[in-house]
Amino acid sequence: MSFARRLLIMLALMLLAGCDNMQDDLSPSGADRRPDVVLGSVGPQVGQIAPDFTLDDTLYTPHTLSTELGRTRAVVLYFNMWCPICDTHANHMRQHIVSDFPNVRFFLIDYVSGSVSFSRSNQVASGYTDFTVLVPTSDSFTKRYQATMGSTVVIDASGQIVRMNEDYLDGNKLRTTLEALP
Amino acid sequence: MSSNAIKAILLVGVACGFSFTSPTSWAASCCGGGSSSSLIMPKFSRAMVNLSVDMENYNGFWDSQGDYRPDPEGSDLNQYRINLGYAHRFASRWQGSVILPYVWNNNDYTGLTSNTQGLGDTTLNLWYESFDKITCVWKVRKWADLKPAVYLGGSLTVPTGVSRFDSVANSFDITGRGFYRLDANMLVEKTIYPWNVLLSLSYGKYLERNVNRDYGNYVEPSRRKLGDRKLATLSGGYTYFLESMDTLTFTLAYSHLQEGDGRIDGRPDPSTRMEKNSLAGTVAWSTMDRDWIFKGTLSHAVPRNDWGENFPVTNTLSFEVSHVLR
Repeated sequence: MSFARRLLIMLALMLLAGCDNMQDDLSPSGADRRPDVVLGSVGPQVGQIAPDFTLDDTLYTPHTLSTELGRTRAVVLYFNMWCPICDTHANHMRQHIVSDFPNVRFFLIDYVSGSVSFSRSNQVASGYTDFTVLVPTSDSFTKRYQATMGSTVVIDASGQIVRMNEDYLDGNKLRTTLEALP
Repeated sequence: MSSNAIKAILLVGVACGFSFTSPTSWAASCCGGGSSSSLIMPKFSRAMVNLSVDMENYNGFWDSQGDYRPDPEGSDLNQYRINLGYAHRFASRWQGSVILPYVWNNNDYTGLTSNTQGLGDTTLNLWYESFDKITCVWKVRKWADLKPAVYLGGSLTVPTGVSRFDSVANSFDITGRGFYRLDANMLVEKTIYPWNVLLSLSYGKYLERNVNRDYGNYVEPSRRKLGDRKLATLSGGYTYFLESMDTLTFTLAYSHLQEGDGRIDGRPDPSTRMEKNSLAGTVAWSTMDRDWIFKGTLSHAVPRNDWGENFPVTNTLSFEVSHVLR
């Protein structure tokens, strides 16, 4: 059997082994596949009522979502793991978004550190002491919000309704969402 | 002239030129996915098979201002890749190649553990050699002896890897970038034994694509693309002829890679802009007939401010074996 034929067989086997996810990238779909939601039900999707929570920040001060919403027009949760992209997003939010919305409360959610002291150490090392960083100590919180690195959740004060829950990207969607708040 | 020197001259006449592979691989499971970019076989050869193993370790990152930042405490981030390559000659001046990487991610990042594997992005290359005669010389006797070997080529990167747009939980799970990319490549090489110098330039454009899912969650559909990609590598090497007439070549390379702003529905997206500068050292051992080539490469990104932007700092150790079919 020639080298070329052996190689082609190996390539085919490797392709078959890894094809579960491949199709989405080889032929991407633009169809809207977001799940339908029942408006007013509790959940992380746009239109649902945000799950309430109480989390400590890195100075051990507890923050409850419903209490925070009573004081502001909206709450923004940014799911952060101290990585390069997270830094780009958070820095952009700090420079271009936060000051334009003084009545909105911005939180970084450190969902990877796992403890308040560890999170504080990462917060200081990364230069984000000007943000309030909330620290979930288990992954159930992140799962309830179906969040991952870069997820940005906007919750309005009028009905605790989720207005946005997706990647920060260039920050344009966050700005548009905040400007459209009731 | 010694007999060894005569043998060397004769060998250069029939087998000058090492196979070229990219001196640095570009990966980063936290932002890039695994891929190995280029493969060129020597003149007058029929085909070449190449197998390489990359072990990449992460060592912090450059932020969007170009400042170096260490990873959080307790982080241990690694990506391993096996790259299978095959190059084939279609005509005296034309050759093509395919490189298929298989990627393992092995990451501990504070509270997050990720062990995933899968295909990386596949690269297809087509090269045109602008010369018919061997351009390697022992002595420069006339101006024509200075003529370099110039290769012009194009590459297509096919998104066969697992990207952020697939069913993944986070950036540590990805093995590819999710975009098709077209590159225009030029490689200029000159060998005046025992020295050689190589300049490689590449300009790539990503193709825009639909996106309806991001890190496993379905999102509002959009059209996205990454920014144009520029890669420049300059390397210089020295070849020792061993007693057996096998050769040992030591090469140092400097590479600059950058990508501009991406696009989301036509708007600029600076969050995907990146830059990386790195240094690489390679030791290559080649048999007398140049049919087998073994390489070891250490690529080092300098963990200091302004050596990169918005990208992980990594060190990559690579081992590679190539077999040339005459």
